[in-house]
Amino acid sequence: MNSLVLLNGSPRGERSNSMKMLKRVAEGWVRGEGAQPEVLHLVRRAQFQRAVEAFAGADVVVLLGMPLYTDAMPALVNAYIEALAPRVEAIRAGGANPTLAFLVQGGFPEAAHSRPLERYLAKLAVRLGSPYAGTIVRGGGESLQSMPEQANRKLWARLNTLGEQLARDGRFGAAELRAVAGTEQFSPSAVVLASLACRIPLVQFYWNGMLKKNGAWERRFAAPYGPAFEK
Amino acid sequence: MRITILNGEPDAALPFHAYLETLTNRLLALGHTATKLDLATLDLKGCTGCFGCWVRTPGECSKCDDSATVCRAVLGADLLLLASPMTMGFTTALLKRAADQMIPLLHPYFVVEGGEIHHRARYAHYPVFALLLGAGPDSDAEDVEITRTMWGRMARDLKSRLAWSTVAERNPEEVADELARVA
Repeated sequence: MNSLVLLNGSPRGERSNSMKMLKRVAEGWVRGEGAQPEVLHLVRRAQFQRAVEAFAGADVVVLLGMPLYTDAMPALVNAYIEALAPRVEAIRAGGANPTLAFLVQGGFPEAAHSRPLERYLAKLAVRLGSPYAGTIVRGGGESLQSMPEQANRKLWARLNTLGEQLARDGRFGAAELRAVAGTEQFSPSAVVLASLACRIPLVQFYWNGMLKKNGAWERRFAAPYGPAFEK
Repeated sequence: MRITILNGEPDAALPFHAYLETLTNRLLALGHTATKLDLATLDLKGCTGCFGCWVRTPGECSKCDDSATVCRAVLGADLLLLASPMTMGFTTALLKRAADQMIPLLHPYFVVEGGEIHHRARYAHYPVFALLLGAGPDSDAEDVEITRTMWGRMARDLKSRLAWSTVAERNPEEVADELARVA
């Protein structure tokens, strides 16, 4: 039985949305009779180093989870991938690398924002000579911070299933990956609805609440580096 | 034209630095205002997703580092040249660190643009993006294309577009001449 190493690539560390989702995949992995996984937070220096060392051997599955930053990986994950460069050489010398699985969670609701990164990650697995177990893509991740646990039951169940599939089949199932991704892109009618919704203060409630709490509401349109955008 | 160049090569001893130096000098000689920021010499703490720049100190990163220098240079340019060698099929983590810390240039509010949810503009103008890649020892045409696509999305996030990109194989003067015709 392979061992699983969970790498949390979120700069927010333990309390991140990425970690919330990774935990549910890990639950499924254990349910699928996988051994209790090791968890490493890349934002912690010692654990980053350990994560580089853990990336070796064919009997390991590495699940690297991350938030989407500027529609790409955050710099922290970029740095981790750079640190794996010697593992490309190791393959050429006849070594073996772990199976690679990924989880990308974006703040925007549509999965389309994450697809170029998914393509990069699939190619990364090829570059490292790693069997590729697939990438979980999920939008709307920031809402996990404000939603009660109960409201996410469906999502947790899907992540559990994906974890089980990883343990049993060595890869995520294509149908389950499609299901967990949710909305790929807005349909023309959804675009109209979303455009209208963005004009309702309720949709911006998450931001307005924090701006007011921090006493920054009056300065919310501050433009310190140039002429402000006027709508 | 005002051109800001972000140099994402961490090692000043490598030829990519000299290449960019020549390119910058050529742009100056052509009469452009070219500013090159060697990101490795700046103190960039990296984005930690705290959203301070959106909800505590709107428009400014809450961290005490040089990210404001980067933001000011980006906003003050007509053309932003992102320059980086390729490693593991992508640009460097150093360049990405600077990019992650550009989110103060946006407003948190959601808007629909081009059929997608994005964040609202904070500024009236953003620079056009250009990308200069140093070919890595193991990078191929597909890596270049994937990298271009990801930076194209980043440009779109920043109310802009990736207008031009090249791999730094030709001589830097020639590349500078071509770049000067963009935007």
